[in-house]
Amino acid sequence: MIELRNVSKTYNNGTEAVKNITLHIKPGEFVSLVGRSGTGKTTLVKMLVAEERPTEGRIILGGWDITRIKTADIPMLRRQIGVVFQDYKLLPRKTVFENVAFALEVASYSKKHIQEAVPQILALVGLEPKANEFPDELSGGQQQRVSIARALAHRPKILIADEPTGNLDSVNTREIIDLLLKINNFKTTVMLVTHNRDVVNSLRKRVVALEDGKIAYDQERGRYIL
Amino acid sequence: MIFLSTKRILKFSWQHFWRNIWLSIVTMTIIVLTLFSLTTLVLVNAIADYAVNSVKDTIDVSLYFDNSIKEETVQALEKELEKIEEIKEITRVSPADALAEFKEVHKDDADIQAALAELDKNPLGGTLILTAFNMDQYPLIMEKIKELKADQLAEKIDYNDHQKLIERINGFSNKLRNFVLALSIIFIFIAVLTVLNTIRMGIYIHRTEIAIMRLVGASNWFIRLPFIVEGLLYAIFGCLIFWGAWALALYFSGDWINSFLTGINFDIRAYFNSNILNILGFEFIIIAVINMISAVLAMSKHLKV
Ligand SMILES: Nc1ncnc2c1ncn2[C@@H]1O[C@H](COP(=O)(O)OP(=O)(O)OP(=O)(O)O)[C@@H](O)[C@H]1O
Ligand SMILES: [Mg+2]
Repeated sequence: MIELRNVSKTYNNGTEAVKNITLHIKPGEFVSLVGRSGTGKTTLVKMLVAEERPTEGRIILGGWDITRIKTADIPMLRRQIGVVFQDYKLLPRKTVFENVAFALEVASYSKKHIQEAVPQILALVGLEPKANEFPDELSGGQQQRVSIARALAHRPKILIADEPTGNLDSVNTREIIDLLLKINNFKTTVMLVTHNRDVVNSLRKRVVALEDGKIAYDQERGRYIL
Repeated sequence: MIFLSTKRILKFSWQHFWRNIWLSIVTMTIIVLTLFSLTTLVLVNAIADYAVNSVKDTIDVSLYFDNSIKEETVQALEKELEKIEEIKEITRVSPADALAEFKEVHKDDADIQAALAELDKNPLGGTLILTAFNMDQYPLIMEKIKELKADQLAEKIDYNDHQKLIERINGFSNKLRNFVLALSIIFIFIAVLTVLNTIRMGIYIHRTEIAIMRLVGASNWFIRLPFIVEGLLYAIFGCLIFWGAWALALYFSGDWINSFLTGINFDIRAYFNSNILNILGFEFIIIAVINMISAVLAMSKHLKV
């Protein structure tokens, strides 16, 4: 599903953020990407959604070589990968429903489809009762669930979460991780970028650890060792 | 699906317009001023053309004959002159008509009436008035008149081509035109800067929304078109506001403006009534192009994909 072949990324200022990474993630896998700050985790995520281009190597997603993807094709790619971040990136003047609907609106989905799909997704993340509330009326964990709901709007095959629990307490963190597991159960490939040792250790799923832009270890049922 | 997107893009454009309402107002004000300047330019051109044409219409050649020349001779000459193809029209004023007109013009002047009554013979001769199809043909007509020896027959030939007057009108209107043109260019320049700035602000205000649109896979035109349409909205509203104000101004002070132009018989209302579509089209296209170019410029600098 996700294939990186000898991928390196050097930023314009000379920072070598990712160095010769080769990684294969199968469809339906749940992978945790761990590593200290500044080891290139976010850089890797950005390359997967074509926000950054690799300096070397190739990236293939579901058979689609996106290494030299055309600007015009990037929207198509982003509809096939859902991404969530530590800061939920919600629109404060839109309700929960509208925030999720937004992803479908800008992709020219019909109003009918939106009216049907959004409540389903909100039900999946457990936010149906909050549909008409605004982001600042929600807890951090609820806001992140809205963000996840929006990332799922296009029913992507891949969901990437870059430190989704970075701003959350342990209870909310647990809820978000459980939600990601639930989504993974529906055959969505999930990549979780995290610093949270407890989370990684409790997951008992595949762990890929980065150190200084390189893969330090890659284990099935791994633990956070670094 | 295209229709749906169009509707949403219009909705986004409308939101851009409203969230930025003060800048929108400033932008439309500049557009209205630009339109005022452009309309003045059109008007100056029209009035100058009209003035020159009305002077040209008064150009003619008059041959005055002494009262000793018989009418038949004048009629014979008229027949000859009719063969000159450059001549559009010949008006013959007979001595009797000339006298009648003279009496009519001076009907309140007792002295002249008395003097005329003293005379038993008509003191006035006949006149032939020639007009050409266009003003360039007069020199040729003058030559042909000489060939016919009409200049010897006539007591006096009156030909005024109003060259000096036409030059003066053209000189004055060219100066005015250049001034208004320079003003229009300055306004267009300010309009470009204003629209550019407004759209740049719009991009800044909507930066989070734009970032999220990218994140969730909005196509580039979905992100960009609202700004271009926003530019078009300024053009449309600017034109509507200006044309509304202009129509009111014409309605209420058209007579007052016309009073300055009685000399050339120019009717500003009639002019705008008969040219409204051309002027509207010309101005809207200029304003719309200004706005869209500005929008594209603003995006190329501040909305990288
Ligand atoms: N746009 C950029 N230009 C230049 N250097 C960058 C840029 N983005 C990141 N870097 C550098 O690349 C390296 C990797 O950054 P990256 O954000 O991928 O780390 P990370 O593993 O996500 O860290 P964190 O856990 O703190 O989020 C860092 O040294 C960072 O300073
Ligand atoms: Mg990071």
